[in-house]
Amino acid sequence: MTRTGGFAGLTATWTVLVDEQPDSDEWTRLVAALPLAPGNKPAPQPDRYVYRIQVARRQVTLPEQALDGPWRELVDRVQERAAD
Amino acid sequence: MMCSIIPPYLLRHLASVTDPAFASAAAAARASLGVDRPFRSIRTSELPPPGGSARQALLARAIEPVTRTIYDAGNLEELPGTRVRGADDEPTDDTAVTEAWDGLGHTHALFAEQYDRASIDDRNLPLDATVHFGRDYDNAFWDGERMVFGDGDDIVFRRMTASVSVIGHELTHGVTQYSANLEYQGQPGALNESLSDVFGALVEQRALGQDAAAASWLIGAGLFTETVQGEAIRSMKAPGTAYDDDVLGTDPQPAHLNGYIETSDDYGGVHLNSGIPNHAFYLAATAIGGNAWERAGQVWYDTLAGGGLRPATDFATFAVATADAASVRFGERSPEHVAVAEAWAAVGVIARKTSS
Repeated sequence: MTRTGGFAGLTATWTVLVDEQPDSDEWTRLVAALPLAPGNKPAPQPDRYVYRIQVARRQVTLPEQALDGPWRELVDRVQERAAD
Repeated sequence: MMCSIIPPYLLRHLASVTDPAFASAAAAARASLGVDRPFRSIRTSELPPPGGSARQALLARAIEPVTRTIYDAGNLEELPGTRVRGADDEPTDDTAVTEAWDGLGHTHALFAEQYDRASIDDRNLPLDATVHFGRDYDNAFWDGERMVFGDGDDIVFRRMTASVSVIGHELTHGVTQYSANLEYQGQPGALNESLSDVFGALVEQRALGQDAAAASWLIGAGLFTETVQGEAIRSMKAPGTAYDDDVLGTDPQPAHLNGYIETSDDYGGVHLNSGIPNHAFYLAATAIGGNAWERAGQVWYDTLAGGGLRPATDFATFAVATADAASVRFGERSPEHVAVAEAWAAVGVIARKTSS
C-alpha cells in the first residue's frame, strides 16, 4: 500500500504479508469483504492523501476522503500492523 | 453623494481595526464604505448575467473585517468538530487554535490590503479552520470549505499550524477555487499547488516584514522535528534542496521543466512539479526586488484573479498570462515585465526571446 500526496507530497509505503500474520484468517476475511472500489471518484481535495492499494492481484487507487467501510479498516490496520 | 477624501483602501483598513481606541473611527469608516457602495444590498436575481462587467460593477462591495471561526476535531477525522473560538471570543490557551486564528488573519490581510480582495471568495466569506484533525495526522488540507490541520506525529512532523506559510497555502487553495479554479491534475494541478506556495510564502514574508532578498523562500519551515535532516518541506529558492534525510529521502522537486516528473501518483505529481513555477516566481520576485508581495505578488494575483485562466491552463499558458499581466500593470518592457519573462525562460517554460 502506497500513500502519495498530502501537503508535503511525501510517499509512504506499507506492506503486510497476510500468510505470515498470526491472525491471517482475520486478514483473509477482511480482504474478502472488500467491495468494488467506488466507480465515481469524489472530486479531488487539495493536499489530501491518495492511496494506491495492491491486494493480491487487485490494485485500486482511492483518495483519502473516499475511504469507507472495509477499505478504511484495511488502510488503518495495515498502518497499525506495519508500525508494530 | 458623499465624497470622501480618504481613499477606499484606507477606509477598509480603518474599518477593520478592532482596537477599542479606534472604535469610532472604524465605525465611521464602515459607514462611509456603506455610503460609497450603494449597490451592496442588491439581490442576485436583479443582476445582469454572469461574466459581464456590469455585474462586476453592481457586485462591488466593501471589504469587511475578517470573520474567523476555529473548530477542534478532538483527534477524530470528523468535520467540522467543536467550535472553540469565534468572533469576540477571548484567545484560548491552545497554541494550535491561536496559530490558526492568527494565520487566518495574516492571510485575509494580504489579500484584502494588498490585492483588494474581500476574503477568499471576494464576497467576504467567513474563514473556518479545524485543528487537531485525526490522530498523529501529518497533513493539512483544504476540503473545499475549510482549512484542516493535523497535529503531526511528533516523529517526522510537528503540528501543521506552526507554519504561517502552510496556513496561507491552504487558504489560497480557496482563492484558486473561487477564481481560476485550476484542475487538480497534471500541469494545472501543479500551478494550483504553486499558487498556494507563492501566496503562502507572501503571507509569511509580509507578516515578518521580509523583502525578497531577506526571505527564506521556504514552505513549511520548522515543521519537521529535529530528527529530520531538512529545514522545510519545499524551497522556492532552490527546489530539490529542502530536505535530504535518511528516512524521507531527498526533496524530489524539479526547478526546471527538463526535470518535469511524469507520474500517476498524487494527481500527476502536483506537489513535485510545482517546483518549476515556484522557482519562476522566486526568480521574478528577486529580480524585481523589494517586497515580493507588492509587485511580483500583484502580477501573480492579477493573473490568478483576472479572469483569463481556464481550469486546464498549462505552464506555458500561465507563463504568458503572467508576462501579459506584468505588461498591463507596469508597462510593456518595464523591469517587472522583463523580469517575469526572463524568469519563465530560466525555468525552461517559455523560449528566451532573441534580442530585437
